[in-house]
Amino acid sequence: MTLKTENSSDSPITVTLTRRGFVKMGGALFVSLSIPAGLSLHAAEGPTSLDPSVLASWLEIHSDNTILARTGRTETGTGMSAYYAQTIAEELCVRPETISLVLGDTDRTPDGGPSAGFLDGMANVRKVAAYTHQALLGLAATQLGVPVSKLTVADAIVSGGGKSISYGQLVQGQQLDLKIPVTGMRAKVDPSSPEGNGLAGLDGFTVTGDPPTKPVSQYKVIGTSYPMPGIPDKITGKTQWTCDVTLPGMLHARMVRPATLGSTLISVGALDKKQYPTAQVVTKGNLVAVLSPNEWEAIGAANSVAATTKWTEWAGLPGSDNLTKAIRDYKWGAPSQSKGNPAEVNAVLQGARKTMSATYELPYVRHAPIGPFLAVADVRSDGSVIVWTHSAQLQGLRAQIANTLSISTDKVVVRWLDHSGQYGRTTFGGDGAEADAVILSQLTGKPVRVQWTLQEDLAWSSVSPAYVLDLKAALDPNGHVIAFRSASYTPHQSDARLLGAILAGMPCCLPRPGSWVATESPFSAWAYDKIPTRLEEAYGMPNLAAESASGGLRGNIMRTPGQRQQNFAVEGLMNEAAASAGADPIQFRINHITDQRLIDILNATAKAAGWEPRPSPHPRARKSGSASVTGRGLCIVVRNNAYWVGIAEIAVTPSTGAVQVTKFAIGVDCGKIINPRQLDRCMKSGVVMGLSEALKEEVTFDKSKVTSTNWTRYKILTMEETPEIKVVQISRDDKGFGGGSEAANALGPPAVAAAFFDATGVHARRIPLTPAYVTTLLKAQSRTP
Amino acid sequence: MANERTLSVNGAKQVVSAAPETPLLFVLRNELKLTGPRLGCGMAQCGACSVLLDGEEVRACITPISYAVGKQVTTIEGLPAVWAAEESLSAADAAKTLHPIQQAWIDEQVPQCGYCQSGMMIAAVELLAKNPNPSVAQIKDAFTNKPPSPHLCRCGTYSAIIEAVQRAAKAMKA
Repeated sequence: MTLKTENSSDSPITVTLTRRGFVKMGGALFVSLSIPAGLSLHAAEGPTSLDPSVLASWLEIHSDNTILARTGRTETGTGMSAYYAQTIAEELCVRPETISLVLGDTDRTPDGGPSAGFLDGMANVRKVAAYTHQALLGLAATQLGVPVSKLTVADAIVSGGGKSISYGQLVQGQQLDLKIPVTGMRAKVDPSSPEGNGLAGLDGFTVTGDPPTKPVSQYKVIGTSYPMPGIPDKITGKTQWTCDVTLPGMLHARMVRPATLGSTLISVGALDKKQYPTAQVVTKGNLVAVLSPNEWEAIGAANSVAATTKWTEWAGLPGSDNLTKAIRDYKWGAPSQSKGNPAEVNAVLQGARKTMSATYELPYVRHAPIGPFLAVADVRSDGSVIVWTHSAQLQGLRAQIANTLSISTDKVVVRWLDHSGQYGRTTFGGDGAEADAVILSQLTGKPVRVQWTLQEDLAWSSVSPAYVLDLKAALDPNGHVIAFRSASYTPHQSDARLLGAILAGMPCCLPRPGSWVATESPFSAWAYDKIPTRLEEAYGMPNLAAESASGGLRGNIMRTPGQRQQNFAVEGLMNEAAASAGADPIQFRINHITDQRLIDILNATAKAAGWEPRPSPHPRARKSGSASVTGRGLCIVVRNNAYWVGIAEIAVTPSTGAVQVTKFAIGVDCGKIINPRQLDRCMKSGVVMGLSEALKEEVTFDKSKVTSTNWTRYKILTMEETPEIKVVQISRDDKGFGGGSEAANALGPPAVAAAFFDATGVHARRIPLTPAYVTTLLKAQSRTP
Repeated sequence: MANERTLSVNGAKQVVSAAPETPLLFVLRNELKLTGPRLGCGMAQCGACSVLLDGEEVRACITPISYAVGKQVTTIEGLPAVWAAEESLSAADAAKTLHPIQQAWIDEQVPQCGYCQSGMMIAAVELLAKNPNPSVAQIKDAFTNKPPSPHLCRCGTYSAIIEAVQRAAKAMKA
């Protein structure tokens, strides 16, 4: 049977259903990738499967009416495993409960792709399911003797002409194959990759063609609050997490890291074999580890060895107190990326009667998972490698491991299991304990489990880089912004190298420093389209201390990367401009935008927050005194076809610098809402992460090492500090799907800064708003008349 | 063996062999394969490893195994049996029940990554045993200010936890 559909270039795409054979028991329809011509699975990129001739199927319809779906993308905690099941169920007209998912594993899933790229992953599985639906309708039409146009499907039963047959009955006794057309490539290490992370093919395969899909108006499953499938097992202790993997003969490893971020090894400390009889020390380059079959013995022995291990002295960091100066002192060349019209913007700025300018600063912050990263690896005598991880980019990680060990990607299998959230840290396939584990397994000939400590994770993992941003705007006599210019300066933020490989001196991918205009990108539309002219420039520099043996403070993306930081400054200046114009901050924004979706969500969120229009600061604003003073502030973010609004209400105690967020309203229009309940919890939790960044988070370092290495030094928001959160959702049937989780964390910092100005009359142009910073800021402002 | 000790874990006697200073967490996970409690900070700063010791929450990452001898250790794997005993459920009913805290955690869809949630549920069980009807402020206080440290969640599920504790409180009074 052949199905033909049309793609955008009008060339027919052929999907072929063939019968592989008959079986006595069961039966199934296997839906697999039809690899594009010219892409050999035997090429250096390597195949997905252990057996290069067999690709794992994407979808299977079984004779018992159950469905198995596989995707290389994983569940990161935001409910995507529910959404994938809902999407497949919708197109196939089945209940989502009948679908089970295999996630991540490079040998058991066909497609690759980043877990954070949910919308692309969803578009893929929708097409897979739609092609499969068409194939099943074709089978049913033959079986029932009823044309496809007369068939309907409900709950996996195809009906027409007074007859019906289930999907299971359609495949009973047969092995059917359906090949799905795809484009794309395998992930591989590639220094010339346009993203600058040193890897190519991280998006995996994309399904081509346009099979008929169900109209949104007929949706029955999408738009309902189907629960996240993995939750019951997590609640009862049945889930097998990455940290629960045990293998016969496995050694537990603890790493002994250099004394400073740039030290190199002089001599390894002594191991007391009487006290630690089963422990052994393994070194390669600057990679030092202590291993034992007994985890507690490995911990004790590692601490003992670390105490007498000698490292060179090193002091190549500027210190976090001098961070802005260090960034300012860098010899910046041309911007990495520029959007807008420089000549026009500069002409308007020069000719304007009124301009305003401000500098905004954000410190280094980090992903800071509750569970420090770990990995288990088994490098076998036949040269094959298997790694267990919770990475969100399994194929990219696989390519990196093969590159580090200088072996074919064919030899590497990476399996996914749950573990602590990572918030973008592994989106490029890097920055976990995987390299440590494979190197130690290769050196010992045994399976090795590497568990990083919290101190290690908070000192040695990659970081979300600091930003310094210079903004300038020209205003007309009515206070309307007529030109807008921003320049952002930031260290590297795409360094996905694996720490273990760097320290061991083994091959790594080669990221290139750079930055991008995140407020106006494929992910985000520029919101203020009634500003007549604008210029946005993004300048990138290498990691701080990039030349050191560890690569320095390795900058990496973190949830809402680039846009989170750049939007803090854009929204800061828009709030300052609104104040300068004496305008209500919401009305001021509406005056600068045309998109009705943004206006609608602004109004809806304002209503939920009980917003009374007036300019900031509040007439009772105060910057001194021991009684608390309240304020409210607003910001927007537009990202990934989603329109976000955040409104913070805060209480500031000027004398102590304490800032408490008392209420937060968050609104989103992300097109058609897939799952209101999961969206609700993603929005609320995003608020928590954003407020944590606004109020508390900062990676601190002296001239040689990171100093914020436990939870009393790298502070994150607690339950008591979490405000009452109101959620507003607008679902639209005619606007496609949008990113409903990611950008929720970008609202906290600008909304809190705006509320701080409302309460005190003082602009807070840096975060976090710690008591120390707030008291310093208010005292300085109190001295100025 | 010199290092053999008998523990009472989730209602069962368990003989384990471990040095007396070994943290309870590693014995539960590596010897008894009870993987509900997980290693977070390793220094009692986060709560991911929490278990109940005679009904009191302790951080298993810093609690020496010698301290647990003679006390009842409860992990999330043992919570259904705790509830079944409190309610005097039959063996058949006990086998298919969940502790109301666990059911509330499912009903409120609390976990995101879920790494911290075993400890969060243990803290909730202890809280409701002492205060069957806590206010929002009391829940926040218990999860934040009770020594040795706040219970931390990086995914940001605090609002869902508060709602789940209140839901469980209602269920346990019914």
